[in-house]
Amino acid sequence: MTKTYDALVVGAGIGGIRSALDLAQIGRKVALIEAAPAMGGLLQKLDHQFPTDHCGMCKSLPLTQRDNSSQFCMRKGLFHRNIDLFLSTELTALDGDPGAFHATLKRRSSFVDPARCIGCGLCAAACPVRVPDEFNAGLTMRPAIHLPVPQAIPNHYVVDLEACERCGACVKACPTGAVDIKGEERARFRVLIAGEKSEDLDRLSALIADMGFPVTHVSGGAQAVEAVAAVAADPESAVRLVILGPDLGEMAGERLLGRLRELSPHLPVLAAAGERAAAKDLLDAGALEMIELPPDEKRLRPWFDKFFMRQVSDEMVEIDVAAVILAAGFTCFDPTPAGDVLGYGQLPDVVTSLEFERLLSGTGPTGGRLVRRSDGAPVRRIAWLQCVGSRNLKQGDFCSSICCMISIKEANLALKATAGQPGGPVEATVFYMDMRTFGRDHQHYLDQAAQSGINFVRSRIHSVVPDNGPEKGLHVEYMGEDGVLRSERFDLLVLAAGARPPASMARLAEAAGIELNPWGFPKIMPFQPARTSRLGVFAAGSFNGPKDIAESMIQSGAAALGASRLVNLYAPIREKQPAPEPVYADVSRQPSRILVALCTSCPVFGQTLDGGALARDLAAMHGVSEVIPVERVCTGPGWESIVEAAASDRPGRPKPNRVIIGACMPYAYVPRLHQLGRRLGLDPGLMDVVDIYSPLMQAAREGAHPLEDAETSLRMAVRKLAGSEPRLSGSYQPVEQHALVVGGGLAGLTAALGVADHGFPVTLVEEQEALGGIALNVRRTAGGEDARKYVEGLVEQVRKHPNIRTFTDARVSLASGRSGHFLSFVTAPQGTMHLLHGATILATGGHEAKVYEWGYRVHKSVMTQQELENKLADGQIDARSLSGVAMIQCWRSREQARNYCSRICCQNAMKNIAELKRRNPELQVHVFYRDIMTYGFQEEMYTEARRLGALFIRYSPDNKPRVEFEEGRPVITAFEPILGRDIQVRADILALASGIEPNDASEVAELFGVPLTEHGFFQEADPKWRPVDFLKHGVFACGLARAPGSMDETIASAKAAAQRALCVLSEKRLVPGRVVAEVRPTLCSRCGTCIEVCPYHARSLDPVLDRIVVDELLCQGCGSCAAACPNGASVLRGFSDRQVLDVIDAALEV
Amino acid sequence: MPSAETEREKTAPLLRIARSKALETVREMVAGCMQCGTCTASCPNAWAMDLTPRQLWRLVNFGQEEEVLASGTLFMCSTCYTCTLRCPRNLPLTSAMAALKRLAFEHAHKTRRRAAFYRSFVDNIRSYGRVKETALMSMYFLASRDPKLPLAFTAPALRLLGKGKLHWPGRPGRGSLGRLMDAVMNREGRP
Repeated sequence: MTKTYDALVVGAGIGGIRSALDLAQIGRKVALIEAAPAMGGLLQKLDHQFPTDHCGMCKSLPLTQRDNSSQFCMRKGLFHRNIDLFLSTELTALDGDPGAFHATLKRRSSFVDPARCIGCGLCAAACPVRVPDEFNAGLTMRPAIHLPVPQAIPNHYVVDLEACERCGACVKACPTGAVDIKGEERARFRVLIAGEKSEDLDRLSALIADMGFPVTHVSGGAQAVEAVAAVAADPESAVRLVILGPDLGEMAGERLLGRLRELSPHLPVLAAAGERAAAKDLLDAGALEMIELPPDEKRLRPWFDKFFMRQVSDEMVEIDVAAVILAAGFTCFDPTPAGDVLGYGQLPDVVTSLEFERLLSGTGPTGGRLVRRSDGAPVRRIAWLQCVGSRNLKQGDFCSSICCMISIKEANLALKATAGQPGGPVEATVFYMDMRTFGRDHQHYLDQAAQSGINFVRSRIHSVVPDNGPEKGLHVEYMGEDGVLRSERFDLLVLAAGARPPASMARLAEAAGIELNPWGFPKIMPFQPARTSRLGVFAAGSFNGPKDIAESMIQSGAAALGASRLVNLYAPIREKQPAPEPVYADVSRQPSRILVALCTSCPVFGQTLDGGALARDLAAMHGVSEVIPVERVCTGPGWESIVEAAASDRPGRPKPNRVIIGACMPYAYVPRLHQLGRRLGLDPGLMDVVDIYSPLMQAAREGAHPLEDAETSLRMAVRKLAGSEPRLSGSYQPVEQHALVVGGGLAGLTAALGVADHGFPVTLVEEQEALGGIALNVRRTAGGEDARKYVEGLVEQVRKHPNIRTFTDARVSLASGRSGHFLSFVTAPQGTMHLLHGATILATGGHEAKVYEWGYRVHKSVMTQQELENKLADGQIDARSLSGVAMIQCWRSREQARNYCSRICCQNAMKNIAELKRRNPELQVHVFYRDIMTYGFQEEMYTEARRLGALFIRYSPDNKPRVEFEEGRPVITAFEPILGRDIQVRADILALASGIEPNDASEVAELFGVPLTEHGFFQEADPKWRPVDFLKHGVFACGLARAPGSMDETIASAKAAAQRALCVLSEKRLVPGRVVAEVRPTLCSRCGTCIEVCPYHARSLDPVLDRIVVDELLCQGCGSCAAACPNGASVLRGFSDRQVLDVIDAALEV
Repeated sequence: MPSAETEREKTAPLLRIARSKALETVREMVAGCMQCGTCTASCPNAWAMDLTPRQLWRLVNFGQEEEVLASGTLFMCSTCYTCTLRCPRNLPLTSAMAALKRLAFEHAHKTRRRAAFYRSFVDNIRSYGRVKETALMSMYFLASRDPKLPLAFTAPALRLLGKGKLHWPGRPGRGSLGRLMDAVMNREGRP
């Protein structure tokens, strides 16, 4: 049966997860598929992220309706009510049209039954195979049957078919019979070989028979049909595979395959032929693959074996979806081919950045200790080499965008990790070409790193040789900027390997029907930052070009908005009838009656534990009314028996009011407890699942005392539940389904349309008299698109949109309230009006910074890059009459006054150079720069500018170019670092890259209670994981007011913000999570300590009530307040002092 | 950092960026240079050069014809192609170097002294079909027009003589390399 979803998300890395969560939160059903056997993507292997230097993945979990999803570390996994996760699954075909796609998915079997695998690890211990472990980037070895990541929940073993030798040791070792490598299936896999008898076919048939398969050989196509037809009805002896040889007689080619398909629609057919051309007919007609004749035993055996394994275990899934989001991420460049110079692959101390992250990780090969891989000696000096596989015409002329920051982060981490070692922290040196710290806060990060002692050397390392002296290590030769060749000894060399499209890109692009760009990433439509060449198929995260986490999050949000808009067109967001709120019985007056259900399915249970004794001990505990054994809780009947026991009133045993289930994998049960709560009329907060199998497994391996461990866990749960109080009435925040957008520039317009297209009314407030903002100044984008036309079209759409009300020459004069319910006053020429809205999007924009130096505003020959672009477009400047143009980049950017990169100036310069050179190829162009920030695919523009003959001269902030004027014409003198002397340039025009400044948003920020950065940008909740959110829920930021960016980046952030706003607006009411803090006013002394410690700004002092109040939507139940409160007035629900102390007692008493 | 470098920094005149017609073809070959220095770091002869290859390309791009052609760097290139192989911008550096050598001979007055050895070497091979050390050195001394130069070579020459490694140019080998080189010159249309 074909299942229907609203959207299909391909790839369960963080990009895909973000898209899936964004859609799931607005009530869309999402199928999330992942080709790997575990979710989390590349980030599973990276423990820390810049610029915070720690993880924070969990921050992207939903904040409202929290009980719909898991609320634990996302590295372990993710459950959401609206997301179905398919692991080891690939998209193989996508038919149909936007809104009505039909997707074919291939689920690869893991050969381990997830329902039966208990993660004990006995199979892995028995497996004789050892292959490099992908999780540790190949630095350690693993068996063929292995855990893809160590911490996933649920964590099932999987068989790596490529490595498996089918010895069957794991099958014998498994205590639950979960592993099936299809040993018995072999005898039933009947293979039919058809074709005129020949030596080759005989050998083929003998070979296959020798592998344990029953083989029948018939002489031609007609006979094959007969043979298949004869046994088709009997499933036991049916033909499972047909191999067609070269001479099939009359019945051949398409006719034969058509006939076979009629008889048995899913019968796989292989073609055996001497060469590909001979088998072409059969392959075109539908034969799966070709077997080469004469059969090469060495190759054929493993190939055929795998083919058989896949045939009998893989499964095709068909689903109908309205939209598809591709988020397959990227892979890292493999520097092995470049190894002749850098020694990667030959010298063990030369590692890639990914391998280095694993070396630093606690779950890595050395447990986080930094030692030389060659001899285990402690590491004292580490070098990083940037741009390996990036910015290289031979390997890929694009910038991978993230490696500079990753290397700074790794150097930081290395310093931290070795701070305590004797002899002090390591010496870290980063060899780079341009330090591309183009993110808003990244320059600051670089400055800090330089201050903390990390050396930055502008040079490419040219050769690495092992040091044969007593100290060992590596000799790294490089040339300093002064032109002197140096040789230094390092213990470890880290290659900052760039990004590459995922290995499966070609297959995926073909299956999804999308076009690729010259670098092998998806082609993205202009002004549609997440749209691929196929309508209805979106690209999210780093899949559409290398990106850091923040931008991946934004891209994924934009992709989700595109998908949800499409879904909305075909199936508008259903007026969600809030499911009748479950009524839970009030059991607060009843003594606790706990039902304990113990799962006994696992054989280890019987072997290591006296079930009867355990049950007796537990039943004797105060508050426990009954202990029942259940055969396999995870199955339907098992679950029903718990429901039955919990629902029944028996004489002498009243109905239980609390439930504890002792089973394996407790997290898997969390969603089911909600169903149970509904059926029993019992608050799910009064139920718990205890993992009793982990201690049992450990006991089975190490001979500890399983009874004690398992019983202790159960006792602790009993104590905790006995003390918990049911929560009777939830607090709900009704939602005003209306959005306010402040700012009518590109970001504001895009965000307003994004929300309004989903049917929610939007009010757009613009300070200026006209909509469009600064984007109207842009003539052409870097890609050559007409930017002004696009923005004008956008203004037109907003003006005409039935759901958008626009106020120009207006501002927000007052605002109050919280997520779901804001009250704002808008002052416009028409008067002041009030507005109730549930979400607020702040897009107050930015402007080109003003320059008052270097002759700007004094000499007509000096202008900003933007003015140069406009004058060229208007024809005010005739490029053919010029002899020279000079440009100075980074005017007052990336230093004290404005210590951030404005991102767009370098690409603007490249754009202007291309235009100038197009009009006058003889024109001399000189660019004075600090670092050229042509990140991503813009690198091509830089290459082109240089090819056209523009000269780039680097300057350092402490030795800036000097500008003088002779008859109004600029003469620029600057120090040339390569030649080590001053050079002088005469030009007709001097263009200054003045950078972007945010508009003054202090008033708006104060009104909505959101913070600004020191440079006046909006300060997001988290620079990585929540880039468009504020800590204050329900308020979102986008566009230049958030961070400098190109038009496409502005559009992406606006779409992401709109999508986040939809998460609020699509709810009728907002429901906080179950575990939240509360205040006991009688004990509280209003000291305010809890307000300060709350990391979510969920607490405030209500001056009217004279009470500390908790915003339950913001509270994430971390418990900081409860720990900090000196009076015990702050309490975390479900973790009261009494409960916690009881639990500790229970832990100690056995 | 060697003092020569600092010296030049102090004394070098201000470099005025210009455009040189003569260097135009070479400039086009190396216009894509991003000054990463891989060429210089890979060059086995860089230690003997007065300008590193990176500096040379920079001067070519800045149109400094005088300095480029007066540089001895051109004649220190042994055409090993390592720089071309390693250049991340895929620039034809060895070919550019060869083009500069050709230019240098065209502007012989500027490069006479630098090119003296190079030219004597090639002439020596042309006439003998192999290197005849004694003939080579005498041609070199004559070409350099520097009376002090032979004195500098006296000590090594005596040592070589003592070990019987120096031979007077007896019967010339008269190899066929001269004709070969003429044919190439003809084909390339050079005088």
